[in-house]
Amino acid sequence: MIKRMMRSRAWRKFFRNKLALVATGLIGVYALIFVAIVGAQISDAAGLTDVGSREGLKVRVLPPKWPGFLEAPDLDRRYDSLDWQLGNLDRLFRKDLESMVDPSGELESVSLAERKLADVPFSELRVMLAETNDRFEALDAIYGELEGVEDSIFFLPDELAAAKEAGDAEGIAELEAQLVELKEARREINGRLDEGLSAVEASLEDLMPMPTGFGGMVYSFRTLFGSDVLGQSISVRAFYSIKIAFQVGLVVATLSVLIGTLLGAMAGFYGGWIDGGVMWLISTLSSIPYLVLLAVLAVMFSGHQYFDNSAQYPELQLVKLYTAMGLTFWVGTARVIRGEVMKIKELEYVQAATAIGFGRFYIVLKHVIPNTFHIMFINFSLLFIGAIKSEVILSFLGLGVSGQPSWGTMISNSKDDLSNYFFWEVGAASFLMFILVLAFNIVSDALQDAFDPKHV
Amino acid sequence: MWGFIARKLIYNVPVYLGIILIVMLALRVQDPSLTQVSKNPSPQEIAEIRSQMGLDRPFVIQYLDLLKNVVTFNFEEESWTQGGKSVGEMLKDSIPLSLAITVPTLGLSAFFGVCIALVAAYFRGRAVDKALMIFAVLGMSISYLVYIIFGQFFGAFLPRQALGGENWPFNIEGYGPLFFGEGATPMNWVSYYMLPVIIGMIVSLGYDTRFYRAVMVEESSRDYITTAMAKGASKRKIIFVHMLKNAMIPIITRVMTTLPFLITGAVLMEIYFGIPGMGFQLIGALRALDFPVIQGFVAVLAAIFILTVIATDVLYALVDPRVRLS
Repeated sequence: MIKRMMRSRAWRKFFRNKLALVATGLIGVYALIFVAIVGAQISDAAGLTDVGSREGLKVRVLPPKWPGFLEAPDLDRRYDSLDWQLGNLDRLFRKDLESMVDPSGELESVSLAERKLADVPFSELRVMLAETNDRFEALDAIYGELEGVEDSIFFLPDELAAAKEAGDAEGIAELEAQLVELKEARREINGRLDEGLSAVEASLEDLMPMPTGFGGMVYSFRTLFGSDVLGQSISVRAFYSIKIAFQVGLVVATLSVLIGTLLGAMAGFYGGWIDGGVMWLISTLSSIPYLVLLAVLAVMFSGHQYFDNSAQYPELQLVKLYTAMGLTFWVGTARVIRGEVMKIKELEYVQAATAIGFGRFYIVLKHVIPNTFHIMFINFSLLFIGAIKSEVILSFLGLGVSGQPSWGTMISNSKDDLSNYFFWEVGAASFLMFILVLAFNIVSDALQDAFDPKHV
Repeated sequence: MWGFIARKLIYNVPVYLGIILIVMLALRVQDPSLTQVSKNPSPQEIAEIRSQMGLDRPFVIQYLDLLKNVVTFNFEEESWTQGGKSVGEMLKDSIPLSLAITVPTLGLSAFFGVCIALVAAYFRGRAVDKALMIFAVLGMSISYLVYIIFGQFFGAFLPRQALGGENWPFNIEGYGPLFFGEGATPMNWVSYYMLPVIIGMIVSLGYDTRFYRAVMVEESSRDYITTAMAKGASKRKIIFVHMLKNAMIPIITRVMTTLPFLITGAVLMEIYFGIPGMGFQLIGALRALDFPVIQGFVAVLAAIFILTVIATDVLYALVDPRVRLS
């Protein structure tokens, strides 16, 4: 049957649309990632493999809020992160590591994913750390100098304004020369600071060498988009969110298309009180603003020990999204299908089937619903987009996903990042989401063009 | 016409009853008395709180009670969490704030949407049209939240950093009274509400433009266009006079049907910009399980929705003489 469907005129028209094919390919890539993550999780849960499909999300890979590729972190952030990392190492080496039977757990606490402590005896590491610390502390003097210069630069404009007010031409010239000099000095000090920081970073790299080989590749993927406020990898979390988005999209779209088609077809075909009941449900649900309805339905589950407990049952947490969206989204599909079925009902082949004596339910299932497949397809892809977008909004409102990464949680977490000029978290999440939604938009446009060209 | 409106109203009574029923049932899955009592309450305390809240009554009684309140416009019931404020007061405070965002958003997005759609229809099939439609699809694919976050950043935060706070009209967040209350000036609208309005307009522009263009394209294949062209009317006159007039029905439907969505859109906007409008209060009440507020607000929102739907039908008749309200 599928083969016959694929040969139909509408599908041929769809396959001639190059842009739509590219978009379908993109969705395929996302789907592959989704399947891979789900596969890894299932095999992890079954104990077949151990790739850490859930724990891996929480691994610290970088200092907090470290920028991703291409962006060079500024001096302040480098200083802060060195301070943080050396502080962690200090705390580690204050412990009596030599006498521990198995210090691997302690060592793990400072490592950044694949970037672990160098494989040399502790006594040597301790010496290296002391040296690094000395170098780091030597930077304080440079910072002192810098602060003095910054202060003078900060107050100069006021003096300049005062001199201008007084009309003191000589004073103005002198102050301006001073300003140029100070700026020069600042540049020079910043240069020295840069060198100093690079030196500390280099000796830190001796302590904790960058991973090479396969581990290095994994590490550079993990650090691709930088790290969030807990030092977790943004790229890993953003790509993992594909799984959440696809899962929510697939389940919600399937659920609501099924409910919508069934109820819509029954209403359109049987008429009478069934039609009245379904229409009542449709108008009732669509008279509540959809975000309010979603929120009311999601609140039913909040605080539940199974359905709102991401630490123990991360999958069950999504049930509230399925329910809320499934109960909300079927309405549009049902309305369209009902209209179409009312048209199909009058066609000859349905009359013929009735004349032969088939039951009405059989006719709906066998002859009516298959002729609404194209509407189901279009609605499926539209609802998929709707589900992904609503997940983001519900998570932002605190009624959706929490405690596990999703585009919604990532975007709403990064609410305050922008005022610190940190774009990586919101950027990565919204870029991946944008591509997927764009692809679905193009595909549903093409489907609509191919199957229902008259549709406005 | 009045007969039509009366019939529509009667038809919508069961719908309205259903809305309140569904919301009340969904809410009663949760037990709000637990949020109001002290830690480790005794069963007695819980029972007392429940009877104070009126939750110990049978569901039917609670349902009829709410209906009675709605029908008699009695919103005196006190909120459970807002320190004795009544639902009516909350509504009175929040409705103007919401309307200050939604009404201008709706008007502006419809106006600009129609304008851009007219341009696209005028250059149909040419580069201008294609570029506009590509922009529309790109714009539709960006999450609402991303628009708000970046809109606030580029619209208020960055310019305020660069120019200093007093040189830039838009505030980053907060709200001010518009017409009454202390320190109320209409200028507050610019500093607190204009940025949300602009962002909301940009969000809906993508959807609107595509829809209006499709309407125009469909209109342009009608017979009266061919007639006008045969009579030698200029393209400009055909598009801006004949076509626009006839495209009014779908445009009105669109504007009216986006009304409830604008209310929800304003939810995010209000929460993000810290404006205590209807959406803000409603979501806050949902989080705190404040039943009187949720029920009162939903009852009002749903009533607004139903009335706009009826008003749409009436507007049809006013715009299009072919439509009869019978």
